[in-house]
Amino acid sequence: MKQIAIYGKGGIGKSSISSNLSVNLASEGFEVLLIGCDPKSDSTINLFGGRRIDTVLDLYKKDITDPDKLIFEGYNGVKGVEVGGPAAGVGCAGRGILVALKTLHKDYYLEKGFDIIIYDVPGDVVCGGFAGPAREGYADEIYIVTSGEYLSVYAANNIAKGLFNLKVKMGGIIGNMRGIPNEEEKIKSYSEEIGSQLINAVERNPKIYESEIEGKTVLEKYPDDPLNLKFKDIGNKIIKNKEAKVPNPTTDEKIRSIIGGLY
Amino acid sequence: MNILTPRPNPIVAALYTLRDLDVDVAVLHGPSGCGFRAARLLEEDGMKVVTTSMSEEDLIFGASDKLIEVLHEVDELFSPKTIGVVGSCVSMIIGENVKKAIIDSGLKDKAFFVEIHGCMGANTRGAIETLKAAMEFGLIDENEFKRQEKMLLLATEVESNNGMAKSKYTRPSRGTELKIVADHIVNLLKENKKIAVILNAKKETAYLFADIPLAINLASKKLGGSVINVGNLSTDVGLLRIKRYAEDIKNNFQSNCISIDYLSGGMDEYPIAGKNAIEYLKDKDFDLLVAVGIPQALPIINKESIAVTNGPREVHPLEDRGYKYVTVEIASHSTVMGTREIVLSELGEAIRNAAGIQ
Repeated sequence: MKQIAIYGKGGIGKSSISSNLSVNLASEGFEVLLIGCDPKSDSTINLFGGRRIDTVLDLYKKDITDPDKLIFEGYNGVKGVEVGGPAAGVGCAGRGILVALKTLHKDYYLEKGFDIIIYDVPGDVVCGGFAGPAREGYADEIYIVTSGEYLSVYAANNIAKGLFNLKVKMGGIIGNMRGIPNEEEKIKSYSEEIGSQLINAVERNPKIYESEIEGKTVLEKYPDDPLNLKFKDIGNKIIKNKEAKVPNPTTDEKIRSIIGGLY
Repeated sequence: MNILTPRPNPIVAALYTLRDLDVDVAVLHGPSGCGFRAARLLEEDGMKVVTTSMSEEDLIFGASDKLIEVLHEVDELFSPKTIGVVGSCVSMIIGENVKKAIIDSGLKDKAFFVEIHGCMGANTRGAIETLKAAMEFGLIDENEFKRQEKMLLLATEVESNNGMAKSKYTRPSRGTELKIVADHIVNLLKENKKIAVILNAKKETAYLFADIPLAINLASKKLGGSVINVGNLSTDVGLLRIKRYAEDIKNNFQSNCISIDYLSGGMDEYPIAGKNAIEYLKDKDFDLLVAVGIPQALPIINKESIAVTNGPREVHPLEDRGYKYVTVEIASHSTVMGTREIVLSELGEAIRNAAGIQ
């Protein structure tokens, strides 16, 4: 079993990538568990036709911690969990993640025979709690989602700094492109700069957004679209990936020169 | 320097300061065990202390509703005139909006918030923040706040220069055996010697420490010798409650026919009163100095001296300052709560025994 965590700048498409990746891996025959760690609880929404599942922390409040009740079966047999958390502006979402991860009983999921567990982690790693899924015993390796835009790469580099400090391995970068010139090359150069690799890059495609409006993944709404092959490729590479290593974050100047140099 | 010795924290200092301000109820917004030892003592002293008992769930989701509920409960249970809400590490880390909760509870005319937690440095910071909040709430005026702030900053300085915050780790010690100290004092009186006693006590601990000058005076009346009495028992400065302590102790001395030769300051002025006391004694002739309460706030003098503290971790720093004997009144905090008169001290008892006083 492989456990991975997806990090990246807020709004960059981590949840879109995670859910599309999950359903395509499932259609390849893998048992997949997607754990959404965002207090907004929107990571798994496209597995359930737009429905929000009960979150671990909401159930925890009601003293329900039985793992069977925390896990829901979504599209294509993918299992989904939402950590949940406090309303915006109150409490501590970071602590929520740590408590939810403990409540999730990792051993139980090991017994269930998942091939891959994907932790979809919100935005930047703002406090210790958000680094929880990257700690020992949870994700084996981290994937960072980024576009070729400066601020997105800057955020990715900041996450790489966190991984470097925590000595956590990084499996690679997944590109989610916005349609700027030479975007894939930019992301690839940055990946290599920090001693990592570009797994693959997804083009900007309205089909992703059209599917999301209906609470679906692309596979569910457009089963024959070639975009699904891209997600299958990313999934297979992740499953087979043995190249994970602690990244060497770079400097702001270097990021500017990589991105600026490729215009 | 990162000091390893555990020491008083700002949350507890805030609770004590609320007591000094005669606040009726302190609500600690935090875990049920936070500050519980101090809370128990303070309840014996008349102030109610309650906790919002934050749980893991509250940590994640916030506990403002719980705080509002607790405020309503204490209002109903105790009908208080004033309520102080004190922060804790957890409630402040998760950014609880306590001011809003107080407004939403409808109790903003009797409740005020002390924004404090355990990681804000010296304990005195908790006292300063409490006084500031009390000033903004209208319990004290700005002059009183400024005066007390100055004293608290000086007190912090005393601890870091001469007390347990001066070195990385301070071992606790009980110092010299009480009997040895008592015998020494009594023998000097028998030889007709002169003893200067400085009571430099912090607030309510004076009820205990005052027993030592009392015992020495009683011993002198029986055995001979003479005593110069100096104490920070001025009733001119400080909060009403603190002035009342000084008044009580002076009355006790008076009823035992003991006169105070010099008032070195008020009971919250211990960081400067020690200096005043030594200044007063500069030209006086005496054979032994006995300093009780906060001896670490006294300048060093070239005279045989005995220090009596209530902190086992103050013993080694005081020995370093050249005191012949340092001894500890271990039970000071628990025995003085709720009292209005001088309580028996261990050293006072040892002196009475040595002098044959019943």
